[in-house]
Amino acid sequence: MDDSLSQLRAEALTHLDGLYNLARWLVRDPAEAEDLVQETFLRALRGFHQFRAGTNLRAWLFQILRNTFFTQYRKRGREAEAVDPDVLDTMAIRLGPASGAGSPSGASSGTLSVDLRAALEHLPDDYRAVVVLADVEDFTMTEVADIMGCPVGTVKSRLFRARAILQELLRDYVR
Amino acid sequence: MDCPEARDHLAELARNRLEPEVAEIVRAHAAGCATCADALQVEVGLHALIREQAPRYSAPPALRARVQAALRTAERPMASGWRAWLLLHPWQASGLAGALAALVAVWVATGWLAADPASRLVSLAVEEHVEYAQEAMHRPPPNPAELLAALRSRAGFALGPLFPGDTEAPLMSTTTAELRGKPAVALVYRNGPGRYTTLLLMPGADVAIPAEDRLAIETFKPHRRVTSGKQVLFWKQNDLACLLVSDLDGPATAAFFLKIRKAA
Repeated sequence: MDDSLSQLRAEALTHLDGLYNLARWLVRDPAEAEDLVQETFLRALRGFHQFRAGTNLRAWLFQILRNTFFTQYRKRGREAEAVDPDVLDTMAIRLGPASGAGSPSGASSGTLSVDLRAALEHLPDDYRAVVVLADVEDFTMTEVADIMGCPVGTVKSRLFRARAILQELLRDYVR
Repeated sequence: MDCPEARDHLAELARNRLEPEVAEIVRAHAAGCATCADALQVEVGLHALIREQAPRYSAPPALRARVQAALRTAERPMASGWRAWLLLHPWQASGLAGALAALVAVWVATGWLAADPASRLVSLAVEEHVEYAQEAMHRPPPNPAELLAALRSRAGFALGPLFPGDTEAPLMSTTTAELRGKPAVALVYRNGPGRYTTLLLMPGADVAIPAEDRLAIETFKPHRRVTSGKQVLFWKQNDLACLLVSDLDGPATAAFFLKIRKAA
């Protein structure tokens, strides 16, 4: 059997939770997240010949999921979210202390997990994906760049801007 | 090292992934720069907070079981796509056209319009299509008027006149699909035992038909290619981009193309 298919079959399930986790953060709806993960595995099986055995299967699967989301799900009625730096700077300012909008709901819930979830969901898709990949899934910046299909500098820039937004939203928990 | 350079390294520094000598330089800069020191502190704090406290969602058991089954059956390279699709979409296992359209949609969206590696997917789609189509052969052809009416109501874009099939080539099934985030539809005709033709339609405003390899069929000139012995024609009519994949030979595909093209 093809080596890459062997590796896919042997390892793929170990990445299922991580893929589903990212899918949930991207599409939020559990059923849609399942669809996204299923489509990811379908594409992986169909395209496994493009995968070089012995290389980073985990990053490759996340890349497929990310591509599937951005080419299909987000355009399926989901509003394209702004990634214009100026817009985000404005957002960060708007969410800052001067505006009085301290959290997505306008006020801290006082519960870290609730506020953290709300803050992450408040980020634009591209930023949330970078944060989940870099912080939760612990990918390197280079791997995140490969997965997101953009330069490393763009990843760092998105992460930095996401930090600015999160810092404001979570200022009760971080300084 | 200036602030932009230091900032460029903060994320990796917070994760202890910098070369020691680079880490030392960044730390030295931060020691003398309150802005970068603050940014580093925020990076370290938020990274730890999110890694430790952000909710992690686990895959539902049913999803795990489906993926496991799909991986297990992925033995034969040329069959893996279809088998996996059917396993992952058990509620549509009888939806031959749906499966076909999904595959066709993927290879068009990911490859053929842009580059050639999708030729492999073309042959996969058609060969597997024939295999499953043969299983569906025992079904009588459905009512084409009902099929087309249902398709028009679900398409999401104007389809214009469509070939409803005839006694030589009855319309077997229709389905909606998605191409590059846009709606598309697929129609599957049976040209004889084990011989099928699929017509895929999508809004064509921003779809370019390759200028080379045009085949003159009466007054029409669709782009033509042959992949794994299957005929593929690609053209525009009205505002639609049209793809036809057929098990027929060249002349028969051209003749069938005329039926479809003239119906529009």
